[in-house]
Amino acid sequence: MTDPILSVPTMTDTVTTGHLPRTIEGRGPWKLAWLRLRKDKVAIWSLVVIGLLVLVAIFAPFFAWLTGHPPNVQYRETGLTPDGLPVGPSSTFWFGTDDLGRDVLTRVAYGARVSLGVGVLATMLTVIVGVVVGLAAGFFGGVVDMVLARLIDVVLSIPFLLVAVALVSITGPSLLVTIVVIGFFSWASMARIVRGQVLSVKEREYVEAARSLGAGDLRIMFIDVLPNVMAPIIVYTTLLVPVVIVAQATLSFLGLGVEAPTADWGGMISTAQRYYRTAWWFIAFPGGALLITTLAFNLFGDGVRDALDPRVDRLIGR
Amino acid sequence: MTTTAGTSTATPLLEARAVCKEFPAGGTSLTGRATQVLHAVDRVDLEVLPGETLGLVGETGCGKSTLARCLARLYDVTAGEVWFDGRDVTHLSRREMRPLRRDIQVIFQDPYGSLNPRRRVGSIIGDAFAIHGLEKGPARKARVQELMELVGLNPEHYNRFPADFSGGQRQRIGVARALALRPRLIICDEPVSALDVSIQAQVLNLLIDLQDELGLTYLFITHDLSVVRHVSNRIAVMYLGRVVEQGTVEDLFGGARHPYTKALLGALPAPDPDAADSREHVVLSGDLPSAVDPPSGCHFHPRCPKARADCREQQPPLEPVEGDPDVHVTACWHPLAHGESLSSAVPGLEIATPGEVEP
Repeated sequence: MTDPILSVPTMTDTVTTGHLPRTIEGRGPWKLAWLRLRKDKVAIWSLVVIGLLVLVAIFAPFFAWLTGHPPNVQYRETGLTPDGLPVGPSSTFWFGTDDLGRDVLTRVAYGARVSLGVGVLATMLTVIVGVVVGLAAGFFGGVVDMVLARLIDVVLSIPFLLVAVALVSITGPSLLVTIVVIGFFSWASMARIVRGQVLSVKEREYVEAARSLGAGDLRIMFIDVLPNVMAPIIVYTTLLVPVVIVAQATLSFLGLGVEAPTADWGGMISTAQRYYRTAWWFIAFPGGALLITTLAFNLFGDGVRDALDPRVDRLIGR
Repeated sequence: MTTTAGTSTATPLLEARAVCKEFPAGGTSLTGRATQVLHAVDRVDLEVLPGETLGLVGETGCGKSTLARCLARLYDVTAGEVWFDGRDVTHLSRREMRPLRRDIQVIFQDPYGSLNPRRRVGSIIGDAFAIHGLEKGPARKARVQELMELVGLNPEHYNRFPADFSGGQRQRIGVARALALRPRLIICDEPVSALDVSIQAQVLNLLIDLQDELGLTYLFITHDLSVVRHVSNRIAVMYLGRVVEQGTVEDLFGGARHPYTKALLGALPAPDPDAADSREHVVLSGDLPSAVDPPSGCHFHPRCPKARADCREQQPPLEPVEGDPDVHVTACWHPLAHGESLSSAVPGLEIATPGEVEP
């Protein structure tokens, strides 16, 4: 493989002295990964799409202003046919209207806030809990590991939807409950991945070297072990975001997501399925948005995995 | 080497007293207890005197690296004591060990595995100061660059990553890290065996020069006898967790008593091929037995050309053979006489030698 990025100038094993100490920067593993990622067209375009989606979510009020249709206003005169059915895309309603005469475009834009917001927050919760548990279990071993590993097994064996439905029927639908439920069911796989990686990294000689210098557990965990298990954590995180977004949409589809008037993709798809013969736009736009979002995150995650794992030959496959 | 050691009058800097290290093997039973035990180190006594280099040799898997880690207090010993500078350090907690870490340092075998790939060389070497809260900011950088220069690295490469260096250079980084705290003892765990032969000599000479310059004491672990001859004052030979022979370089290379030592020496490549014929080549039969279920008596008896029935019965003590100096000790029931050839020995586990066995 003749990748110019990987051909770091080599030096012979000679003694070089006599110069004034000037520092020569080495290109670290992270920088090399970024350079590899930058060459991956699919990953970069996915990143651009993700960026656009984030902008849509942040500037959702802009769409309300542009169309003049706030997300929760029902246009019963203009937005519904005389029979009370949604109207199709037109110059007034670019993406058409929903069953209550609301603007689908604005609602899809506002729905991005829910999807991405839950996606990011629930993923963060998952990563923090998963990494802490996995790190502790793998690093300390013994009884700590035994207890945590069994806990992981237990959580992984609980049926997600069943508990989610039961829980939400008690607490009522809310975004916070959605985030907590998704986080609670996702951290275990992250913890299991981290634990496995830590088990192998902690046996490396540089960990022993740190110990022989007198480093304490915390220092070894966060300076020597964690940076060396970051690559799988990052890959799993980017691939987790679309899973979480779909999970949120699923809960919402089942009526367990957000409270009634709030726009969100899963909820829209759920209502729209009753109209798919008469109003294709009602299901196509939120469904398409969900598809594009998960696809972008998945492709980006693939790119990140390839970039962080130089063993994959970049010339093959794309 | 300028220092001459080998007299038993000096107080040892590092001492192992009947050190044992066992690992659980073969899984655990339902109650969590190990079903089998691997005896990696079995009652080893060892002394490292100030200023000397003690070479520890043996086959891969004989427990020499485990012993080194026990002595560096990276592993807790199962039994026995570790003394450093006249003080029992066997049961010091990690916190209590911290000041001692400045005196005992380790150079590891694998120059690729022993450096954190995600960190810059400056931070790796500077860790020693960071952990002990010494030399902050620019002073630390200056000290690190001094160390890099001392071990023959370009100080300008302070901000490079380990991946930017060759194996020999990486091992120099490891040496610089070990030297940072000005230790008195360095345990070198096969420091050159992962390097190209052409680079080995450079790193060995660096270690020797540093010893002269800084007055270091080395415990030098290797499976390579030519290396150990080059650097050591005294040599201890390990077999399956036990020391079988120990003495000065001259004692061992001139008059090895233990058949195992003799066989190791016979496996050395000769510098002068014409003279090579004068040495005997003994090929040991069989592999190193399992340390989970070691042979009875003398561990070496299943492979020993001189083994007799009594070798199976009892473990021989580590004592001077008659006529040898006190520092040359051998653990063998039937030590080789001077000039005795091993290839002429007749294996005879069935031959009883009642005359030589103590009642």
